[in-house]
Amino acid sequence: MRKHLVKSAAIVGATLLVVAACGTNDKTEAGGTGGSCDTSKGTLTVGVVAPLSGNLSALGIGIKQSAELAVDEANKKCTVKGYKLQVSAQDDEANPAKGAQAATKLSTDPNVVGVVGTLNSSVAQTVQPILRDKKIPQVSPANTNPSLTRGNDFLTAPKRQFDNYFRVCATDDLQGPFAANYMVEKAGKKKIAIITDGKTYGKGLADEFAKQVAKKGGTIVGTETVGEKDTDFSGVVSKIKGLAPEAVYYGGEYPAAGPLSKQMKDNGLNVPLMGGDGIYDQKFIDLGGKEGDLATSVGAPTESLETAKAFVTAYKEKFGKEDFAAYGAFSYDAANAIIGGLAKTVEGGEWGDAKRDAMLTNVGAYSGSGATGEVKFDQYGDSTNKVLTVYQVTGTKWDDVQTGEYTG
Amino acid sequence: MSVLLQQLANGVVQGALIALIALGYTMVYGIIQLINFAHGEVFMVSSYGGLATFTLLPDDLKKSPAVALPLMFLGGILVAVVVAVVMERFAYRPLRNAPRLAPLITALGVSVFLQEAVRVWYPDATSNLPYPKVFPTGSLALGPISVPWTGVLLVVLSVGLSILLQTYINRSRMGRAMRATAQDPDTAKLMGINPDRVIVLTFVFGAVLAGVAGVMFGGYLNNINIDMGFQNGIFAFTAAVLGGVGSIRGAVIGAFIIGLIKTLAGQYMPGGTQYDYVWIFVVLILVLVFRPQGLFGEPERVRA
Amino acid sequence: MTTTAAEKRSALAPLGKPFAAVGGVLSIVAAMLPWVTFPLNDGNWPDKSTLSFFDAPFALTGFRWHMLVLGVLVLVAAFAPTPSKGRVVRALGWGVLSVAAINGIYLVVKGGGFGAITAYKDVVAFGSIAGVVAGVLVILAGYGIGIEPPGNWRIKLSTPVAYLVLLVSFGAVLYAVSAMLTTGGVGAGNPYAGAIFLSFLGFAGGLLAALNGIGYTKWISHLSEEHRVFSVIVLLACALLLPFTDAGNEYWMTVAANIGIYAATAIGLNIVVGLAGLLDLGYVAFMGIGALVAANFSGAAAANFGIDLPFPVAAVIAAVVAGIFGAIVGSPTLRVRGDYLAIVTLAFGEIFTRSAQNNIGGMTNGSNAIPGVPQLSLFGTEFNKQLTLGSVKLPAGVLYYVLIVLLVAATMTVFANLKFSRIGRAWIAIREDEDAARAMGIRTGKMKILAFLIGAMLAGLAGAVFAHKNGTVSYESFKFLESITLLAAVILGGMGSIPGAVLGAALLFVLPEKLRDFEDYRLMIFGLALVLIMRFRPQGLIPDAHRRAELADENVDGTHVDELPKEAKA
Repeated sequence: MRKHLVKSAAIVGATLLVVAACGTNDKTEAGGTGGSCDTSKGTLTVGVVAPLSGNLSALGIGIKQSAELAVDEANKKCTVKGYKLQVSAQDDEANPAKGAQAATKLSTDPNVVGVVGTLNSSVAQTVQPILRDKKIPQVSPANTNPSLTRGNDFLTAPKRQFDNYFRVCATDDLQGPFAANYMVEKAGKKKIAIITDGKTYGKGLADEFAKQVAKKGGTIVGTETVGEKDTDFSGVVSKIKGLAPEAVYYGGEYPAAGPLSKQMKDNGLNVPLMGGDGIYDQKFIDLGGKEGDLATSVGAPTESLETAKAFVTAYKEKFGKEDFAAYGAFSYDAANAIIGGLAKTVEGGEWGDAKRDAMLTNVGAYSGSGATGEVKFDQYGDSTNKVLTVYQVTGTKWDDVQTGEYTG
Repeated sequence: MSVLLQQLANGVVQGALIALIALGYTMVYGIIQLINFAHGEVFMVSSYGGLATFTLLPDDLKKSPAVALPLMFLGGILVAVVVAVVMERFAYRPLRNAPRLAPLITALGVSVFLQEAVRVWYPDATSNLPYPKVFPTGSLALGPISVPWTGVLLVVLSVGLSILLQTYINRSRMGRAMRATAQDPDTAKLMGINPDRVIVLTFVFGAVLAGVAGVMFGGYLNNINIDMGFQNGIFAFTAAVLGGVGSIRGAVIGAFIIGLIKTLAGQYMPGGTQYDYVWIFVVLILVLVFRPQGLFGEPERVRA
Repeated sequence: MTTTAAEKRSALAPLGKPFAAVGGVLSIVAAMLPWVTFPLNDGNWPDKSTLSFFDAPFALTGFRWHMLVLGVLVLVAAFAPTPSKGRVVRALGWGVLSVAAINGIYLVVKGGGFGAITAYKDVVAFGSIAGVVAGVLVILAGYGIGIEPPGNWRIKLSTPVAYLVLLVSFGAVLYAVSAMLTTGGVGAGNPYAGAIFLSFLGFAGGLLAALNGIGYTKWISHLSEEHRVFSVIVLLACALLLPFTDAGNEYWMTVAANIGIYAATAIGLNIVVGLAGLLDLGYVAFMGIGALVAANFSGAAAANFGIDLPFPVAAVIAAVVAGIFGAIVGSPTLRVRGDYLAIVTLAFGEIFTRSAQNNIGGMTNGSNAIPGVPQLSLFGTEFNKQLTLGSVKLPAGVLYYVLIVLLVAATMTVFANLKFSRIGRAWIAIREDEDAARAMGIRTGKMKILAFLIGAMLAGLAGAVFAHKNGTVSYESFKFLESITLLAAVILGGMGSIPGAVLGAALLFVLPEKLRDFEDYRLMIFGLALVLIMRFRPQGLIPDAHRRAELADENVDGTHVDELPKEAKA
């Protein structure tokens, strides 16, 4: 009994104590967001489907927050007349079945106008048909698998797969060959070893790279796979060292690529490591990326793009740090494509199911300049922005060494 | 030939790391027949503990490895020990007489919890974190092969600590108490041994070794992530089983064998590095089926 | 134990009824007070919480309505003749406390400080604080009145009346499930959905515990035992009627179908773990094998065999192939026991993921997965499309839901028949003591492999449905964490218990869906929950009768498990 009385007294006492320290975050009087815009017609939702928990959450949260930034700015600028926009981010746990649930949840809401996502290509495969049935545009910031837009025979017989699916990132069949051209023609490396992490992004990229290297007269001396959770790469490094490559191409992301590059150097394999946009990140260098390592990334260099700098500044202001991760800028552009399409769709009218066809057309016809360069879609839903840049590690940062369009 | 030698060296370094973790598994299993699945996470947490210690140091101390390095080990070990003791006290001890599946499932739960706790609460732990560069750099070159100095240090520490542990358990009073408890807890209790103390001490020893491993891992590979515990934990467990659970010597030798299988299978087996893990597990299954007591274990150790 | 109980009574006994009266009235008052001092930034806190009752009489909805109901019930329970009064009052008290605390905490966090629930700019709102105090008082009142074992009704009913009672009760369960699924809104809109749902859970949990205290739930479970066949039919009917309730929308149909697939798999796992006592840590691999086989025979563009088999045939092949793998994985059981076996299964699981990722034998498409597995269809209607029955429009995905309910029902039947057969008894004997079982003439090796084989076949079958339902088969769906989740479903529900696995799977899927606000902590809570369940309720939520008896014996003070306090329920 005594225990109970003491406990309850403690609870009441603690409550009274904290109650004394009052405070709120009431923003009603401070003006708040979108205070000056006309939002009389209600609230519309931009959905986000990305992994927000588990070990891919860093990328997923970057996608979510960048979409939030785009929506915030649109609300401030009254981009969509008569409506307030909000973001509804759903966790897909990087799991195709959970992604389907998240997509269904969004698709049953009549106020969801479009979806930014997904991160994983395998999740996109389950999300695409669900959103298509409801004619909801899906703009992916991160799916690089070419078959998502152009089908399995994407090179020989491309065929649009889903008329609601768009993406703002470059596909593997652009980025891989572009890197291969640079490697063989510009850098003059003919003997190249490939390492991948065996996942969709890394493997797809490396496969396209390898095809182009062969076409340009180079040789792939070996292909190795490292485990998703691997950290000690000394075995793989020693193995490819025996093949004496002049360079190594890594299909995967920076958390493994940085340490891999360092271990290559430590084990006496001091040749450049090259990768795709998954390793084009400052963290690659922090984690051990060495002088002379290369990466390709979509669009012209950030320094030359006012829009990109503006995105970074605005993001930092809103979230306090630059944790938009690899796909933040793409996600920002994806959200803006949806917002732009929506603004055109509801201009002078009301949102409703009848507008969904127009919405798809308008997103498809969207054109603007975003944080990754020009944002526009071709007849398959792929980005028309085929400008790619090769970066090289110089000192402690990435320097751009070549910008151009992949032409074959 | 030089490739083979280099791969052997790589395998030995990987084995040294696994050995430090495997000792924790083998000791705990030897005493309370518990697969402490969360031990891999203790190793992971200690790595973050070492990193946090470094981050908290004043700037001038960060620059002197002679001060920073021991403090990092101390911090990592401290975190590991605290986590292990709390885990033993609140998750495992209440279940000591429960059906055998219960503690194993609890261990899985603790493992998931620790991983997520670090991911959510440690700043920026959602992705790999770089480890401070206070460790010796450069490599030891022996003819055609080269091993980073951190790798050499790892092997020295691993072998040294396991010999120390073996000696302690064989020679000291407490060591005798541990062996007695492992053989027959009830009789040991009648002889005046406090089993709770012995068990906690076992967890502490395991955690200290895991703590050393955690900090060394960061130093050797220069980066850490929240998944490192699961992966290396499974390898370490496999090593402990391979060597015969309960046997210190067995765990260390098992660990070196696992390290060598991984590097050599990646080099020479069909499928190459794509399937290097698969070979480890294949060996594990074969050992369990044909010699369940492991290479150095006593047959009666195997219970249902 | 006895002394503390007596102390409790002596000190609190005179305060029991007065506390109940004050607490009950206070929670009614709390329901009428405003709860928050300003409209929260993400939009008005639900149900006009800034208003007091007197500004808008009868505008009580949502959690304030729940508070009111609980308050009235406290007064009724305390002053009307109620069986096991203290237990009922305490349960209601926990309900009041959780509703008030959940809403209060949420308001404080979202409102940016305690100003949100106390006083701010001449506005006062003490609803949540009054509610918390009321809750604490009512719980204490429960202890004061005295905690007795739950009521035991011995009312005998004639069969028709019993049927009616069962029908009404199961109907109420259906209503409660539907209400629970739809609370907080269905679409993406409501920013407060998580808190509303938690608060609803507190309310429902309090009511349920009170019903349990009165003895109602026990009575119903006795009734349904007596009329087993009727109960099963009604339950099945209720499950099939869910699409006709408010929860009958596309979203919940998708979630429910996924729950069903995992529940069917979990039942298979329950054979291996719950009955035969063989811990399997790589079980999801069998589901993966089934899904891959079905996908390859489905005629999808990415399938690797150019054969398009009708679904039933493909499903049977999937089950058989998974079963063969099950027998292979199970074969080490002839020599390996206990924890070691768990590690062998874990190793097999990892080998499966790794091989599938590397596109072994060109059958899994590796990291590209097998997309575009066609939807199932019946008489030209694809299973994921809307269905119109006469004038009733059923949500998209309802056919999958029906198929999967039938699948789960079928696996439950298989499980029940096995459990009460010679084979099932042999498994249980092996679980309890393998050497003794062998001594009694059970061929333990054969039986253990049989457990693996049947379990894997059920998983393979579920995997085949999974392939068509989700349209994509990727190795990423079948990783270690999924195995652990399945195991957790079995344990949470109760090892060896038939409805347990279904309930476990349902909880593990519904809760994350409803609590998407807390997704960052999802796995952390999951891990913690595994630890806590093993510590406090190792027999699971719906314990198997045999297991319950065993575990009851182990209680120190000799109380039957059913009679232990159940704080966790509130």
